[in-house]
Amino acid sequence: MKLRLQSLLINSFVFLLGILSLLAPFVVPQARTSTFSSTSFPVMVSLIVVLCVLILLFEAQSTLLNAKLIAFLGVLIALNAGLRFLEIAIPGPAGFSPVFFLIILTGYYFGGRMGFLMGAMTMLVSGLLTGGVGPWLPGQMITAGWVGQSAGFLRFIFRKLNFAGNPVEIIFLAIFSAIWGMLYGAIMNLWFWPFLAGAPGQTWFQGASLAENFGRYLTYYLATSVVWDVTRSVGNVLVVSFFARPVLQIFDRFNRRFSFQIVKEGEPL
Amino acid sequence: MTASLAWLAWLLASLIILLSTRNPLLLVVFLSLLLALGIRLSAPPDRKRWLGQNLRFIGTMILLSALINFIFTHTGATRLFSLPKDWFLIGGPFTLESLVYGGINGLVISSLYLTFTLLNKALSIQQLTRLIPNAFYPLTLITTISLTFFPSIQERTRQIKEAQMIRGNPMEKLTDWIPILIPLMVTSLENAIQLSESMTARGFQANKGSRKPSAGLAILILATFLVFAGWVLSLFNYPLWISWGLYLIAAVSLALLLSAQSRAIQITHLHQDRWEKTDVFATSTFTLVFLVLLGLILGQKTAFLSYSPYPALAFPTLPPAAWLLGLVPGLPILLRPHDHRD
Repeated sequence: MKLRLQSLLINSFVFLLGILSLLAPFVVPQARTSTFSSTSFPVMVSLIVVLCVLILLFEAQSTLLNAKLIAFLGVLIALNAGLRFLEIAIPGPAGFSPVFFLIILTGYYFGGRMGFLMGAMTMLVSGLLTGGVGPWLPGQMITAGWVGQSAGFLRFIFRKLNFAGNPVEIIFLAIFSAIWGMLYGAIMNLWFWPFLAGAPGQTWFQGASLAENFGRYLTYYLATSVVWDVTRSVGNVLVVSFFARPVLQIFDRFNRRFSFQIVKEGEPL
Repeated sequence: MTASLAWLAWLLASLIILLSTRNPLLLVVFLSLLLALGIRLSAPPDRKRWLGQNLRFIGTMILLSALINFIFTHTGATRLFSLPKDWFLIGGPFTLESLVYGGINGLVISSLYLTFTLLNKALSIQQLTRLIPNAFYPLTLITTISLTFFPSIQERTRQIKEAQMIRGNPMEKLTDWIPILIPLMVTSLENAIQLSESMTARGFQANKGSRKPSAGLAILILATFLVFAGWVLSLFNYPLWISWGLYLIAAVSLALLLSAQSRAIQITHLHQDRWEKTDVFATSTFTLVFLVLLGLILGQKTAFLSYSPYPALAFPTLPPAAWLLGLVPGLPILLRPHDHRD
């Protein structure tokens, strides 16, 4: 219980710090007032996000020091990185990506910590495979990690509501994946939007209200990203609707098979 | 120049130059040398295609960035035309200065993108994986397993897909992929079971790990908070030395933590990075450039690198020392960057 509380506190702290850094253009008007701040802004956001990812990975890996979890996650991540390549093969419009459903289902079935690792490590591995290592990677890792982590909370709620195994479970998972389809794009934009804005006064006025600045971001988002994100959302809904049930059944089967215990010589069984 | 640490130093030096200047002359030199290095790193038959792809990307980025700034920013002395001021967001004068500023933004973004593209090109996946600190070895192990399994998963996907198509599965709708995904997942997870048993048999389970709160985690959280606090203080215009002091404490704590954690873990590297004289020379040069520029930024003495087209457009100037900075990303061209694959 104490460990769970500690984990919850750490995760909440990191979430708060990460989200505050990404939302700085809205909540800290000073972010755009000096030349020093405007040039260092994206660097500092990236740095803080990297550190947040490191904290969560450091915390999550403490449970990973066993062969079963390492092998299971390693193979599942390879599979998901392979799905990223299938984006080209599966018929779907721009923005559609089949990687999120496995992240959501892993987090949903195995808990938030596994979900976070699945999301963050999928982005890292597919980044290495596709030559996609860059300043955008920490943002992708933490956001995809949050996708998996939040799915863990969903499991907790569904158990309380006795949804597990019902068709309602899949419907809610589909809705959840649709929400993250939109959120993922909106969060990822936050990393580079202030950088694209560039000059003081370009899209950010000193002393402008939170609502006004939010309106500017919304305009930018509607003009550049909404079509991609809607496509991703619809794609997530379709993939979760068709694939979630059989994949959850596979997880059920392998969860039992992976439950073997290793006992050292001389230890009681 | 093949060592991963030498390329990491190259990355840091390039990034600090890019983030300390908006001078278009310096940026053009910088970008041209990145392109030249990219050509050098590409295999001869791919060079033309690589250059074409990247020139198209750079052109699009500069054009897009210039247009966005031109449409939404209405400051600057040289007015080209105007739209009624009450038009939401786009109303107001359209100026030459905002067009140029947007173009400079495009140059910076293209250079950043190209810098990372070249890092991916210069280092193998194994070298990139090895850059993950030993303190995160379970994650390095997961990454290595994923990278190892990836080709076999791709091959298996192809085989299952072919088998399905022979059986008349048209592979046109999303549901047609269920007979591929399910066997693919089942066989892959069977492999995971075999792998975990094999790891256990070879003694991996010897370290069961601990779920106790660790001092390392506390240091990591504290260091992150110090960086965040330093950044917020700088945003609120507190003296910069306070922020840099906090960054320094955080950096030292992190370095000590990673070093201590890494020393505690014994890892056998079957393939070591080769260190040659050129690697030592390059790493020292890039580190020196990084430190000098960091010092200039700390002392707020980077005015000689700055340029702004506002309020009225003027031709940029650049002192001779600054031209040298533009040449930094091209240094690996002289140091045989690709001999490990030649």
